Amino acid sequence: MARLSWFIRRLRGLRRAEAIHDEIDEEMRFHIDMRAGENLRLGMPPDEARRAALKSFGNVGRVKEIAYDIRGGGVMETLLQDLRYGARMLLKNPGFTLIAVLTLALGIGANTAIFSVVYGVLLKALPYPEPDRLVAIHGSSNKTPRMAVAYPDYLDWRARQSTFTDLSARMPAGGVLTGSEPERVTGRLVSASFFRTLGVQPHVGRTFTEAEDRPGAERVMVLSYSLWQRRSGGDEGLIGNAIEYNGESWTVVGVMPAGFDFYGQSNLNNEFFIPLGQLANQEYMRDRKSHTVMVTGRLKPGVTIEQARAEIQSLALQLGEQYPTSNYGKSAVVRSFSDDYVGEVRPALLMISVAVALVLLIACANVTNLMLARAAGRRKEIALRVALGAGRGRVIRQLLTEAVLLSTAGALIGILLAAWGNDLLVRYYPDGLPRLEEIGIDLPVLGFTTLITVMAVILFGLAPALRASKVNLHEVLKEGGRRSSGVMGGRLRNALVIAEVALSVMLLLGAGLLLKSFRQVMQVESGFDSRNVLTMRLRLPDAKYREASQSVAFLQDLMRRVTALPGVQNVSVATGFPLGRGSENGYWVEGEPEPQQHEQWASSVTQSVSEGYFETLGIALLSGRNFTALDTADSPPVVVVDEGFVRRHCPDGRLESALGKRLRFGGPSEPWREVVGVVRHVRHYGLEEEGRAGIYRPWLQINPKWFADFTRAMDLIVKTSVDPEGFIGPIRKEVQAIDKDQPLANVATLEEILSRSVAPRRFSLHLLELFALIALLLGAVGLYGVIAYSVSERTHEIGIRMALGARRVDMLRMVIGQGLKLAAVGIGIGLIGAIALTRSIKSLLFGVSATDPAIFAAVVILLLSVALAACYVPARRATKVDPMVALRYE
Amino acid sequence: MAKHKADLLQGTLDMLILKALSVGPMHGFGVGQRIAQMAENLLTVEEGSLYPALYRLEEHGWITSEWGTSENNRRARFYKLTAAGRKQLRVEEETWQRLVLAISKVMQTA
Repeated sequence: MARLSWFIRRLRGLRRAEAIHDEIDEEMRFHIDMRAGENLRLGMPPDEARRAALKSFGNVGRVKEIAYDIRGGGVMETLLQDLRYGARMLLKNPGFTLIAVLTLALGIGANTAIFSVVYGVLLKALPYPEPDRLVAIHGSSNKTPRMAVAYPDYLDWRARQSTFTDLSARMPAGGVLTGSEPERVTGRLVSASFFRTLGVQPHVGRTFTEAEDRPGAERVMVLSYSLWQRRSGGDEGLIGNAIEYNGESWTVVGVMPAGFDFYGQSNLNNEFFIPLGQLANQEYMRDRKSHTVMVTGRLKPGVTIEQARAEIQSLALQLGEQYPTSNYGKSAVVRSFSDDYVGEVRPALLMISVAVALVLLIACANVTNLMLARAAGRRKEIALRVALGAGRGRVIRQLLTEAVLLSTAGALIGILLAAWGNDLLVRYYPDGLPRLEEIGIDLPVLGFTTLITVMAVILFGLAPALRASKVNLHEVLKEGGRRSSGVMGGRLRNALVIAEVALSVMLLLGAGLLLKSFRQVMQVESGFDSRNVLTMRLRLPDAKYREASQSVAFLQDLMRRVTALPGVQNVSVATGFPLGRGSENGYWVEGEPEPQQHEQWASSVTQSVSEGYFETLGIALLSGRNFTALDTADSPPVVVVDEGFVRRHCPDGRLESALGKRLRFGGPSEPWREVVGVVRHVRHYGLEEEGRAGIYRPWLQINPKWFADFTRAMDLIVKTSVDPEGFIGPIRKEVQAIDKDQPLANVATLEEILSRSVAPRRFSLHLLELFALIALLLGAVGLYGVIAYSVSERTHEIGIRMALGARRVDMLRMVIGQGLKLAAVGIGIGLIGAIALTRSIKSLLFGVSATDPAIFAAVVILLLSVALAACYVPARRATKVDPMVALRYE
Repeated sequence: MAKHKADLLQGTLDMLILKALSVGPMHGFGVGQRIAQMAENLLTVEEGSLYPALYRLEEHGWITSEWGTSENNRRARFYKLTAAGRKQLRVEEETWQRLVLAISKVMQTA
């Protein structure tokens, strides 16, 4: 309250400022006139009388200022005055101002842009009520840290648990909306509890009832807002009407609100929702070994995530005892929704945040140096102000005001930069950055910007202001404005340059390590050839392709037609391809102990492929034979294995030893399959993951139980002799020649897929490179500034030395030596800091140690050369000093 | 000249102003004159420093001010002791007396 009234008084003071000034002036004038009159009366001549009156009054300006501060309004008034004065000073020196503002804008802008991403992705609360009560539940086993959950397991968990208000399950769904305009859509099969668990209400209509979440119930569908807009222009009349999906009629019962998204991908897999429970009779939904659904839960109020984890894990254990063949050794992972959401991008984002903060520190150090140099040049002006009655506090305030002006200008430009950078970041951030829509320059982000701006002022404004205000009047005025920096000023500047160099070293090292990691990833032996390969998915609607033979006929016809296209070298259909789909299947090799429990099955990536698969993808056949057209449903079952399989099952390590072995996928209902060939190992899960073993079987030999399901969603893989992009149109034409309603999905070249798989790595690499470059530039400018300044200060000394016979080369050596010494100390400190810091980015490194000597050496050499270049120009200037001029200059 | 005059002791100016004003309202110049007169010109007071002190005392609520007309018909700001100011003056006088007594005793000790 007291504060408030003080403030109001000051504000009112501001309005009355002129009046108060006038009053004080009048009072002082009255006093001095009275004294002069008195002096006159005592017989002084008029001139003398006035002079004596002024003298006995003391420092008029100072008194007025102090008086004004006391009389109220002083703070605000002087602030305005400082601002005006500061702006004038900054405009008087446009070069300095421009460099300082741009440097700050760069630092503040980069930080704002990165923070907007970090905030949107990592910090902002998820868009559901009480998001911290939401958890994701994954299955797990010794072999797989995280996997989907078997639907019966989910049902048992849900029935037996007590720590959740509810659990929900979901599966991806995708198909074709037919009708006026056929369109491929991706959505989800969700349990009725899905929406309740998240706590979201539909925009119009309703979500599913438990009764609809069962086999045989009415087919109902909830649409996303955007799909609703697209299909009906937002007509509520669509509710209750049917929509044609995969050749069947589904009744639309509700529409989700605009912007409803799940796992941050509003368009992917969130276009429509249908009840998961309607599939409950399907074979794979009843099999506890088919891990098909993803589970989300909402904790009861007051329940901790640890309690929930303990409960779910003990339920998993119970199921393991109850169903040992399928559930032995299975457990569960329970983690908070937000961790699950953004888990993978966190380390990269944190690293980038640290990098960009270092850039800001360097920027501030640079501006500090500029301010120090300028303050030294302004000593006379400041001394004059002090002489005219400004207190030390007043001078500090003035200089800080200038710092505030600088950083505010920097922040404003920085925000523009950030808005632009933000666009770039969002546009170029690889797929899979969650919550993309929530990233933007919003209020909290601006708050952050303000915070770092204030921080910047303190960082770069305070030290120069404190130093500059400590003037010795007599000395400065006597010196007549000759520059001379105290030892202290020089020491502070040196420390700042050392810090800049050290920070640059850290950034460059981080960038270097990531660069080398990227190289290593790209040079990894992938096992396949991605050049000129086009891939696409064919999802054949169940309603139309009820029998497997229909799908097979379609695909075989298509392969024949595509092979005939000019420029096509090889064609294959498969259940997946490297970096694409693939499933881990358990198998048992004949002659090895029979696995008793789920855990004991060996597992491999298993693909079912047509002949020509290995040629199409350039996967080398190392031994035995390839699949042929003769490997059909009626011929003896065969498989081709890879080197990983040989390593695992052939103790002698010879490829030939694998040939003739027999293996079985699962129980007695599965046939024994003979190994007929060995191919090169393929990194199926991405270049950075070695993977273990791969097994391939002819697609026509898929177990008849699953055959129809598999063949309704096969990938077509085409190897062409030239750029494969041009083949999309002709292939689509061939597809539609067979079935005019059949769309193509997931059309992409293998190069694109490969590049997308390393996109996050490339992205953080580019960002870090950019920041390291900025750091290097700023560091070089800082070093240059300090050396140039010190040369100009030492002109006199250099002149004397040269007059005494020092050669130019000595001067060159002296100045460069001074710079290199600073750089060397900075590099040393930077290396120590980097060793501490790079350990924390270990998870982002690939095939390179955090202390890779080559990178360290390269960074040291780079920085030393940059330092050399930065010192060379001022050093040259030192050699050009004419002793006569330098000495006379005094 | 400086040899005959004593510099004002730190912190005593406020008390002198209150004392000067205890005889009645006067303007700033008058306060200065009054102090000089009371001190029989043995004190140097930088006249400018009167004003910050006057404003401070006003902030404390020990004196009030208003514009009036001076003896030579000019507009001047007149200061007046408040009740609180009178009390403050008494407190300071007592403190001062004790201080002077104590210091004199020390100084008179052989």
